[in-house]
Amino acid sequence: MSEGLQRRAQGVPLGRRLLRWSGPTGWLSLSTIAILAVLVLPPLAVLLQVSLTETNADGSAGALTLRHYAQLFADTHLYTSAANSLIFASCATLVSLLFGGTLAWIVERTNAPLKPLAYLTTIVSLGTPYILYVTAWLFLLGRTGPFNDAWRNLGGTGLLFDVYSLWGMIVIEGFLWSPLVFLLLSASFRAANAEMEEAARMSGASIFDTVWRISLRLAWPAILAMALFVFIRNLEAFDVPVLVGTPGRVTLLTTDIYLATREVPPLLGHASAFSMVMVVIVGVLLMLYGRVSRSAERYASVTGKGFRPRPFDLGRARWAAGGLILLNFMLVLGLPLTALLWVSFSPFLRPMRWAGLRTLTLKNYTAVFNVPEYLSLAGNTLLVTAASATAAILITTVAAWIAARRRGGGMAVDQLATLPLVFPGIVLGVAMMEIALRAPFPLYGTLSLLALGFTIRYMPYGMRYAYSGVLQIHRELEEAAGVAGAGPLGVLRRIVVPLLSPALLSGWLFIFLIGAKELSMAVLLAGPGSQTMAVAMFDLWVNGQGGELSALGLLWALLMTVFASAFYFLARRSSAAAYGR
Amino acid sequence: MENLVVQNLSKLFRNAEGPAGGVRDTSFVLEPGTFFTLLGPSGCGKTTTLRSIAGLEAPDHGRIALGERVFFDAASGVNVPLNRRNIGMVFQSYAIWPHMTVFENVAFPLRVAKSERYDRDAIKRMVDVALDTVSLGGFQDRSATRLSGGQQQRVALARAIVRQPRLLLLDEPLSNLDAALREDMRVELKRLQQQIGVTTIYVTHDQSEALDMSDRIAVINGGRIVQMGVPRDIYFRPANAFVAGFVGATNLVRGTVAAAASAGSVAAVDMPDGQVLHCLFPTAAARSDRIAVSIRPECLVLTPAETPAAPGSNRLDGVVATTGFLGNMNRYGIRVGDAVMHANTGPETQFAAGVAVGLHVTHANTIAIPDGVP
Repeated sequence: MSEGLQRRAQGVPLGRRLLRWSGPTGWLSLSTIAILAVLVLPPLAVLLQVSLTETNADGSAGALTLRHYAQLFADTHLYTSAANSLIFASCATLVSLLFGGTLAWIVERTNAPLKPLAYLTTIVSLGTPYILYVTAWLFLLGRTGPFNDAWRNLGGTGLLFDVYSLWGMIVIEGFLWSPLVFLLLSASFRAANAEMEEAARMSGASIFDTVWRISLRLAWPAILAMALFVFIRNLEAFDVPVLVGTPGRVTLLTTDIYLATREVPPLLGHASAFSMVMVVIVGVLLMLYGRVSRSAERYASVTGKGFRPRPFDLGRARWAAGGLILLNFMLVLGLPLTALLWVSFSPFLRPMRWAGLRTLTLKNYTAVFNVPEYLSLAGNTLLVTAASATAAILITTVAAWIAARRRGGGMAVDQLATLPLVFPGIVLGVAMMEIALRAPFPLYGTLSLLALGFTIRYMPYGMRYAYSGVLQIHRELEEAAGVAGAGPLGVLRRIVVPLLSPALLSGWLFIFLIGAKELSMAVLLAGPGSQTMAVAMFDLWVNGQGGELSALGLLWALLMTVFASAFYFLARRSSAAAYGR
Repeated sequence: MENLVVQNLSKLFRNAEGPAGGVRDTSFVLEPGTFFTLLGPSGCGKTTTLRSIAGLEAPDHGRIALGERVFFDAASGVNVPLNRRNIGMVFQSYAIWPHMTVFENVAFPLRVAKSERYDRDAIKRMVDVALDTVSLGGFQDRSATRLSGGQQQRVALARAIVRQPRLLLLDEPLSNLDAALREDMRVELKRLQQQIGVTTIYVTHDQSEALDMSDRIAVINGGRIVQMGVPRDIYFRPANAFVAGFVGATNLVRGTVAAAASAGSVAAVDMPDGQVLHCLFPTAAARSDRIAVSIRPECLVLTPAETPAAPGSNRLDGVVATTGFLGNMNRYGIRVGDAVMHANTGPETQFAAGVAVGLHVTHANTIAIPDGVP
């Protein structure tokens, strides 16, 4: 009896495991694992190797050494930067969470007025490069900006607000992320089970009590997971640290890595050791995030029926809530847009005055339209981001199907496809740079290198879209196709891909939008002939050509807003009508 | 034609707490054209059995063959992939692909068939025949998302039979329909099965569906078949207390065999309160065996107290405890000793609560069954 049980316990699962690997499904899993491994493992390997070896004068690898790590940890500068990064990331997270979260709740669950403004703000911010926002706020909050200008006119001395400081960075980064927080949290507020709140109201609870005791407690794990996610992204942030922090002599971990690569010759060993430290920190945080978000899923109480939860009636407070929506619109869209328009139509950088209206000029726009380089810049950016979005989606469609349906090798596929999350953009930039420098053919400074880096970096996002898309397809739709006679590849091609196409299109647009904004990796990898829009804007800023930067940025943001609108409406529609019931 | 043979089929699921559902050691043989129903409560393993036959699950043990063709054999390591088995299946959710028209849904099995190539005309002809069979002629170009529940069900059925499979599997196909439609589809499904004459396995937890439609029924509990037979036997000759209770409502009272009984005979059973019931013994029992006595509520006839029992009938004495009027019948709860027995009578018999009554039941409807759940 016990012998029989043992045989059952050992023999059969092994047999079944072999069955899972045989046939076309097994080959599909194996080739997917191989492709993913070739993409995501080399960056990690090369970082580790360079951080542990001497770099010879000709760029080849020398003897093994721990010198880079020893130097890194011996320098007190590391600890200053780490502390700055920590303060920066946590405070900015708090700002965007409070601001974006409150806004999401007001818009989704109350009867506040002016809601369309919040959506408009979010859509435009999805497509606008961060660097453009940052420059706009730098102008607004800077020495010549309207706030400090007004302060001086009122007789104040010095600066009301020095934007080139840690606090300036925190405020800007917080505003930068609040639209995304708004987007993600509003989705979960929309899906929340209103009956739980209605039950509390029926039991006699006030709106405040209901929100405090029921809504917030239920949403807490989701909020915590989101906070951790935003914190990680803030830790990896590059745009604000380099544009605001570097002039203000506030160094963060990411800017330190960047500066090490800008030395002549570049301190690649140092940058790699630094990068490995960041990979470890981000990796640990991601593991924590995985735990928190799993418990968030357990808590999620999603309504099965398609009805919209009834909004809370805020009474007179609804006008205050509407005021907050207006404030968000002004801070995230209205003021930056006005500032950019002002700068782009001004002959030189100057304070905003009525008198200045008479000397407005189109010269910045004519400059943008007359330099053919700008056109090829736009072409480059569209080409690179479209190619990498397509590649990432193609790979992750198959990967997500294997992982979500727990076919052979599903775990390995899942791990490999989401591994690039541990690379902050600047770190992956360093790794890709080192790979390119060693490649036997000229790779550094080409568009292919950029596309490859983007593909690796954004695969986890494609995976996220495709994976949850597969989970939404009723399993029986695939099983019916199998019983009807279709093989695994037939099921994938004829059933899964067509049903997944809305999710895949959303994923593609998302990758395309964030790829077009990417600065941190692109700034390391772009050569003279392969610049992208964000890199070009960065150069314009560094060169002090704020007028042209604003003109170019506004035109680009206009184009990207078209894509962002498509993404936004697609995402809303597909969440409303999920296929396959 | 060929028999479907399922031998010693086992498939156990485990979770962190240990075994969690599945089937153990299930065997049956179906002759061609049989309408066979797997009946049992949810989680009993009936769907696992069906999915193992379809090839959607790989069993741990056993053998499944249709005629000469072996689908699965753990001993020799044979496992024909599901798409090579040529089985028609209707899923609980119907699984109508929303991105295809009705025509494309039904044509799918023909388009992906590996064994045979169908040309355009053949596909058109076969799809039309299948749609006509389920009375959906003219729906070819309708989008699959614009179908009612009943229509989706018919499309699923047409898709399942379009390739003239040798086996048709139906996984609770009526459970998502509303009550009135369910009655219609039940008749329709049975007619259709007789018309094409395909061996059919039907999974349900609804006993009236099973009794109405099946040639044979297997009642499953805890992963095992506890009784297999024709509907009348399942209902009137339950093999154990579980079947008696699950298939239709029944009154179960415990007793002791007074004198040894052979299979098919009527023998006396001592009840705890001293009364004696004459019961039909479907299986032999020895003196002093503990048994359960099953009496269907509709088999009980209520009379005023002291009415003598007719020959070949038992009489129990009780007091009406509860009454209920259901329109087509009256439902009574009657206290007999410590127990409450349920009786369904025609709407014309009327007794008020608290009245003493006699309960009469023929010996043939007083069934002695082995006590305890197998």
